[in-house]
Amino acid sequence: MTNSINHTARLAIKLEAVSKIYRRQSKKEIRAVDHLSLAVEPGQVFGFLGANGAGKTTTIKMICGLIVPTTGTITVEGYDIARQRGAAMGQIGAVLEGTRNVHWRLSAWNNLMYAGGLKKCFGKPLRQRAEQLLRELDLWDRRNDPIRLFSRGMQQKVAIACALVSDPAIVLLDEPTLGLDVQAARTVKEWIAKLVKEQRKTVILTTHQLDIAQDLCEHVAIMRRGSLLTNRPLNELLQLFRQQYYQIRVRGEAGRLAVPDGFTMELEGDETVFSGPIEDQALLNHIINRLHAQGLHLNAVHRIEPNLEEVFMNMIEEKAQEQEVQYDHSISFA
Amino acid sequence: MTTLLVLRNEIHRRFLIIWDYKFDLLMQLMTVALIFIGASFFLGHGQFDTRQVPTMLLGYSVWFYARIVMLESSYHLAVEAQAGTLEQMYMSPFHASTLLVGRMLAMLISATVLLSIPVGVLIVLLHVNIPLHWEAVPVLLLTLVGLFGFTLILCGAVLVFKQVQTFADLLQNALLFLAGTLVPLSSFPGWLAAISRTFPLAQGIVVLREITFENKSLFTTWANGGIFWLALNSLLYLCIGWLLFKVCERVAMRQGSLGQY
Repeated sequence: MTNSINHTARLAIKLEAVSKIYRRQSKKEIRAVDHLSLAVEPGQVFGFLGANGAGKTTTIKMICGLIVPTTGTITVEGYDIARQRGAAMGQIGAVLEGTRNVHWRLSAWNNLMYAGGLKKCFGKPLRQRAEQLLRELDLWDRRNDPIRLFSRGMQQKVAIACALVSDPAIVLLDEPTLGLDVQAARTVKEWIAKLVKEQRKTVILTTHQLDIAQDLCEHVAIMRRGSLLTNRPLNELLQLFRQQYYQIRVRGEAGRLAVPDGFTMELEGDETVFSGPIEDQALLNHIINRLHAQGLHLNAVHRIEPNLEEVFMNMIEEKAQEQEVQYDHSISFA
Repeated sequence: MTTLLVLRNEIHRRFLIIWDYKFDLLMQLMTVALIFIGASFFLGHGQFDTRQVPTMLLGYSVWFYARIVMLESSYHLAVEAQAGTLEQMYMSPFHASTLLVGRMLAMLISATVLLSIPVGVLIVLLHVNIPLHWEAVPVLLLTLVGLFGFTLILCGAVLVFKQVQTFADLLQNALLFLAGTLVPLSSFPGWLAAISRTFPLAQGIVVLREITFENKSLFTTWANGGIFWLALNSLLYLCIGWLLFKVCERVAMRQGSLGQY
């Protein structure tokens, strides 16, 4: 699925019909990204999700100008990466997955100075920005220590600071919380939120930690085998998968109460919890009345909201089933 | 101005890293001194022949520049590909080749320091007389231009193939023996001397020896074709190196192998 780009307002990132085909020695073609079109509005966290091998990292690297697309165009803040590479690179800061991104032999301060220089940022503005970033990340006291002596979380914070030191409009974070402990991951997460809220940066985030994506992203694109499965605002996406799914809590043990089809009943402490799909209000009222009739005290009734992980799994599985059906058809017609 | 600042940025980073490896630096200084003493002893048939030493010293010094610039540039590029900092370098608004020139300049400066200290001490200890001529400076710079071009070819190969260290090692050893560093090209058989002149460094060393030890002026070396051949050789290496580096860069970006190791 590709989504068309209709609006002409200034976009942070725009990909038009981008494909990347690798030709390996066996002459076999690997279509890592297939005719991908998407637009990223400025000042938001854009989640780029997908299973391993979906084409996320290839897409991120194409946006960063590190991989040349086979076809299609990519513009960053209006600059075409192929034709205006220098200007486009000036708009981007990135922390890539699985690599250090920083020089371990240098101190945090020197890493920031070097990273700023790489982005044409020098002198007092660079020093001021570096100090501000190191203070915000609680690394100021250790600014002169070599990075190799830092914990994984601290190294990642320095990598993110390096990506931001030149004050780019767009920050690409590929698995920024990978391998971090809970506390470090939370700091990084809070910081990403702050970047968008206070500095109006555009953040492109890829992560397998879907709870983090759900907390941070305003817009989500899900990829599978190089193609887009969906690309829409997070709320809209969750709405698509919202079911009339309820949880009813009553005080005490409900005993051998007959539950409707699809319902589960569990004992949690001094409460009995009924969970299941209720498609109309009448059925909900009927169940509540029955519970009253049994003399059970109603503690709470609430609708269960779908989370991004469920949506993601649903979409990936649906697509996989669809493809299996298509495959079966093609075999039966062959 | 910005280009100068970015070159300074690269030089500063390189120096910080060199300084962080102080022990290695010390070992390199001792290696230079040992090789120099050993070679002088060998060429002097077991004695320090102060007449042989200056010719060898000059050739060896130029080769040492080549060794540092070629090996370190390609090695560090491979290390950076592994560490992920190479991709950060490619996300700079500057061309990677500009940044590489900054790195090579840093290596030239560090090689100069590495050479000056032990060679200076040995000159004093062995009472070796090397006449210094200002005319040697432009010739050395022209020689280094060719060396930069040659190093760009190696760096390009690193971007595509990654593991080229053994090949780089082979090349720098070939240069030690074939570029007339220890023994002048005039002592080589004609056919070998002709081949050697096509290598980087060889012609530079020939002209440097003419200026330093035969008191020839720049004008004389131009008139005998020495400088012309050096300039042609260096410019060709620079152009071919630049072109091949760009091609390799493009190939690596098409293959998506820039940051892979």
